[in-house]
Order: sequence, then structure tokens, then C-alpha cells
Amino acid sequence: MDFDFSSLFAFILFGLTIGVVYGIVALGISLIYSGLDIVHFAHGEIYMFGAFFGLVFSEQVGVPYPLALLSAMICAGVLGIVIERVFYRRLTRAGGGYTVAGMGMIICGFGMSVVLQNIAFLIWGADAEPFHVDLGEPYQFGDISLPKSYALTAVMALFLMAALHFFLVRTKLGLAVRAVAHNKDIAFLMGINVPLMISLIFGLACALAAAAGTLIGPMQSVQVEMGYLMLMKAFAAAVVGGFGSLPGAIVGGLLVGIFENLGAAYISPSHKDIYAFLLLILVLMIKPSGLFGVEARVKA
Amino acid sequence: MTATKNRLIAAGLAASLVAGMATVAAAGEIRVGITMRMISENGQKYGQMVMDEIDMINKAGGINGNTINATLLNDECKSDKGVANATKLIFQEKVHLLIGSTCSSVSLPIVDVTAKAEVPQIIPHSTNAKITQKGSAWVFRVPVSGRYYAGVNAKYVGENIGKKIAYLCAADAASQNDCEAMQSQMKSQHGVEPAYAAQVQEKEVDFRTHMQKIKTANVDGIMIAALAETMARALTQSYEAGIPASVRRIGSSSASNSPVPSIAGDAAKGVFFAAAYAAADRRPIARLFNEMVRKRYNINAPDHDFSQAYDLIRIVELALGRADLKLDSGSLAADRTAIRDAIASVENYQGLASGPISFCAAPTPQCRDGNRTAVLIAYTKGGENYVTEVLARVTMPADFGL
Repeated sequence: MDFDFSSLFAFILFGLTIGVVYGIVALGISLIYSGLDIVHFAHGEIYMFGAFFGLVFSEQVGVPYPLALLSAMICAGVLGIVIERVFYRRLTRAGGGYTVAGMGMIICGFGMSVVLQNIAFLIWGADAEPFHVDLGEPYQFGDISLPKSYALTAVMALFLMAALHFFLVRTKLGLAVRAVAHNKDIAFLMGINVPLMISLIFGLACALAAAAGTLIGPMQSVQVEMGYLMLMKAFAAAVVGGFGSLPGAIVGGLLVGIFENLGAAYISPSHKDIYAFLLLILVLMIKPSGLFGVEARVKA
Repeated sequence: MTATKNRLIAAGLAASLVAGMATVAAAGEIRVGITMRMISENGQKYGQMVMDEIDMINKAGGINGNTINATLLNDECKSDKGVANATKLIFQEKVHLLIGSTCSSVSLPIVDVTAKAEVPQIIPHSTNAKITQKGSAWVFRVPVSGRYYAGVNAKYVGENIGKKIAYLCAADAASQNDCEAMQSQMKSQHGVEPAYAAQVQEKEVDFRTHMQKIKTANVDGIMIAALAETMARALTQSYEAGIPASVRRIGSSSASNSPVPSIAGDAAKGVFFAAAYAAADRRPIARLFNEMVRKRYNINAPDHDFSQAYDLIRIVELALGRADLKLDSGSLAADRTAIRDAIASVENYQGLASGPISFCAAPTPQCRDGNRTAVLIAYTKGGENYVTEVLARVTMPADFGL
């Protein structure tokens, strides 16, 4: 039997469209990690809130989809800043990373995840909500149909990544963010408002998660429990790419997306969620710091 | 005014179903434990309806002068919580009767708990055939068993759709059973193997890989056996993958649940499935019921989980009325046995179900799968205001699929 290259192309295409979404969420996780030295376990719920914000703006307020996406990003960004200022600030003041306060942040993140999920449950209930975005007929590539929402997701995701890159590399504010991410103490001595930059990092990361949620909504519908699996996949993407590496998060996301789709297509479709973590284990065995990560050598 | 009308409708409905109950006064309390999936909006309303109906029975004087004290717990469709709820209700609350659960994966382990504790259990929604095949003398099922649904579906599909069928089966117990039974029936009735079959996660969100493979397999139909929200996503993505409407979509019994047409929208149009009740039913009792549910719970077209919960309460009311209950401190075991025997004596109950419901004493599926009539339903319009039509109504022989 001939190998079906058309289907292979379709599986890679599907992998890329979901992979960019993993990449955006992983980007936020890596951004927070690089800035605060902590892993934010409530990021899946921010993603879920973002999807609901997008849904509310699109279906209830009635604004066009791109504007709903932008509004959701702003709302989630503000939510992230509020969460950081009200709940996480005391702990980050005491230090992050491998300190007691760093552990406190991780536990606080878990707690925040539960709180946010319950708040969402109270507001929107447990039922999945359809997120209808009518963009017209799908694109046809031979035997492959690609809905315009998938194409839009890929384009928007790439645009967001490029915009973030521009912000971090080409703007003075971005330089300040990178300085804080590199070393908070030196950044402070250089006159940078470190707490403000940390809030900005948090807001940006949450806005990215909201973008991912709003982009995925039309593909998969929106519900309170949607954050957990995305968080796991985004973690896998961030680790595969190298935790803390922004380009690594994007590449990791794409790899996870393609790997899980090819695994589902050619190995076993019944265990689709395993492949992301299989890739994670493989990468960690070969390059423990991830593809773009910097190997830290610790002296005894 | 509306409240009075509601009460009149409900009273009329109850009166048309239950007649001739003795009203001998005897102060006592019949403890009923209920464990159901209460995490979705509809799930909460099924539970609410059961409690409302019990409340109305009590307000109307109870059962032979005894009031029903019902405790409703949420098992979230999780088997560990379901077993914990059942254990609590049986050993702590000392219930006389257990109602539950919604999900087959929860009802299955509870059957062992009630069998060991010797407490009658009546199931409102679970369809997995194995529930009554365990041989428990204490379990009764109001919904149609999955083995009957599979037989009806397979006959219709083979004769009207085609024999090249793809199967997407979610990992929950009911969907697994529906899928296996359908595949088995397609083989025994039409001699065909699945053109494509895959198991997916219970809450799978991305079906595109499957749909691409199904598309290249050129099938006549796709059976999607999954819980409502998962099914709705799969239906939507089947169209996004470019699989035409001429490839018929076949749902498992949960396709009856309103989130399927609500979430899937236009993708729900043409989907057909076997269920126990159709909102399009024109019988007066069904129209009264639809009106009551619409007014009381703001549901446009009640699915079969509403009707089954309602039928269950009427059967419980009937059985409790017949049971010789002592309801004193030393009579718990005897009262439980009396209730079990009274449920087993329910014969030819004519309610909302599309056919009669009859139980009998033997602990076999033939006796305990009381409802054998499946109705084939198709969505003619999706969305919030979905519309259905009845394709066929079939009563199966008691030992079908065993």
C-alpha cells in the first residue's frame, strides 16, 4: 500500500496549529520563570479565564473576533497584574527559585489554580460553551481541509511571538524586562523599577495565555476544566525548548504539537497525550537543559 | 398563576401514572439516598427534579402516611466519589433505597456495594450492560440497556446507512460499552468489522488526526460514542476535516443530552441515536412532561435523562406504596428487602419511556433491565433551539445481546 503523503502533511499541519498554541502558553510560563525564577502553576487557569473573556467579548458583547482577542488579552493581563500584586508580591520580595519563598510561590500557584477554577465555575458553570467564529469556508489543500480559524490561530500566534520578540529586543522597556530577568539586584542598582517590571512580566505572560485560550476556543469549545491539560502540554513544551528560553518555548511547542499528532496518527491514536511527555523524557535524556536551555554548572 | 398551573400540570402527570395507592397512616420515615452527576447545568437539574418530585410526594401526604427523607449527593461522575457516597448513604444514613448513578463508571462499582450491604439500588441513567450482568439481586435499571441500543442502531445502520462504519469511542464505561456492543452487533447482524476504530480520552479535545484518517477510509458512517461535550466537539471537527454530511454521524445514547446540539450547532443536524425518550413524542403524557420541564427548569426540549429520572421516581413511588414497611429501629434489613421485592413486582409500568417497564425477581439482566424499548431519534436542527424527529421505535426481546 502506498504511503499517504497527503495525510502526513495534514498531520504535520494539525501539529503546527496546536503547537503554536502550546508555544504561546509555554512562552508565558518561560517568561515568568525567567523573570521570577518560579514555575507558575495557575497559568492553565489564566489560559481558561482568557478563553472565557474572549467568549464573553465575542458572543455577549458582540465585538469582532480580533477585537475580542485583544480585549481578552488586556483583561487577563490586568488579572495577572492584580494576582501578582495582591498575592505573589510578598513571596517574591523574599526571593524566588530554590528558596523557601520560591517553594511558597509554587504552593501559592497551586492554590491560585484551585481558586481561579472555582471562581470560573461560579461565574460560567461546568458546561462547555460553544465559541462560534464564522470565518467562512475552510482552505482546501488537495484532500486536506484547513478551517480558517486554524490558519488564523497560526498567524496570530506567530504575530504575537514576533511582537513579543520586538518588545523585548527593540524597546527600552523590553531591555528593562530582560535586565530584571537576568539579575534583579543589578537591575535595581541600575535604576530599574524591579517590582513594576515583575508586574509587567506577569501581565504579559497572562495576556499571552489569554490569547492562546481565545484562539483555541473556536476549535475546542470553552470550559472550566480546559486549563489542566494545556498547562501540562505547555510545561512539556517549555522543558523541551529549555526552561526560561523564549525561542525554546516556541520551538518546544511546535515540536510537542507535531510529535503528538504524528504519534497519534502512526503509533496509537488512543494514547495521544502520552507523546508530549515521551518527547519530554527523550529530550531530557539527551539534553537535560532542553534544546535551547543553558546548562548550569553548580560547584559543590 | 404560573406556579398554580405548574402544580396542576405536575399533579395531572403524577395522577395519570400512579393510581390506587393506599393511604394508611403510619408515622415513619423512608430514607432514600441519591448519588448523581451534578456538575453540569443539566446534571443539577436532573437532581433537582428528583428532589422536587419527592418533595411533592411528601406534600401530598407521603407514602402510606410515611414521608420520604431524601439525601442527594454529587458524585461528579467519579467512581471513587460514587462509592464513597454510596457507603456513606448506606452505613451512615442507613437509607432504605439507593438511587444512582448517572454515569455507568460510577454505577458499576456501586452495584457491588449495594449487593454486599443488601440495599436495593435503582439506576436512573447508566446504560452499560454489565451493570445488570453482575448478577446482583439488589439492582434495577430504569434506562434502556446499551445492548438494546446497539441492536437497534446496528439494524438501522446496516439497512439504511451502509456497512463501512468508523468508531470513535471515549474511555468512559458507557461509551466503551456502547461502542463494543455496536461493533459486535454490526458483526453479528451484517458480518462486518469496523472500517476504523479508536479509543479517545474521556474529555478529548482534538479529533483532527482521527477525522483525517476516517476521511481517507471513505466510510458510510461514523459512530461517536462519548459523553455529550466530547461528542459535540468530535461532531464539529468532523465537518472541519471536510467529511461530508452524506457520511452519517451516529451518536451513542448521550447524544440525547442537550449539550450535543447546543455546542455542536449545525454539526448536530442529521446525527441520529437511540434513546429512551424523544421530546418530539406526541403522546399527551409526553407533551405534559415537556411543558412541565420547560416551565420548571427552563429546558426547551427535555432529553431522556429527564424522563428517566421522572419515570424512576414514579416507579419508586409505586413500589414504596406496595412495600410492607415497618420503619422501626430493628426493621431496616426487612424494609430494604420489602422495597427490593416491591420494585421487582413492578410490571408493565407505562410512563414517559417509549415502552412499558417491567421488572421481575430473578437477578438476571432479563429481569433487571426493565426498559427494552429504544427510540431512534435524529436532530433536524442544531443549536440552543434544537429540533428532533423520531425515526423508529423498537422493543427488543429481553435476552437480546446476552
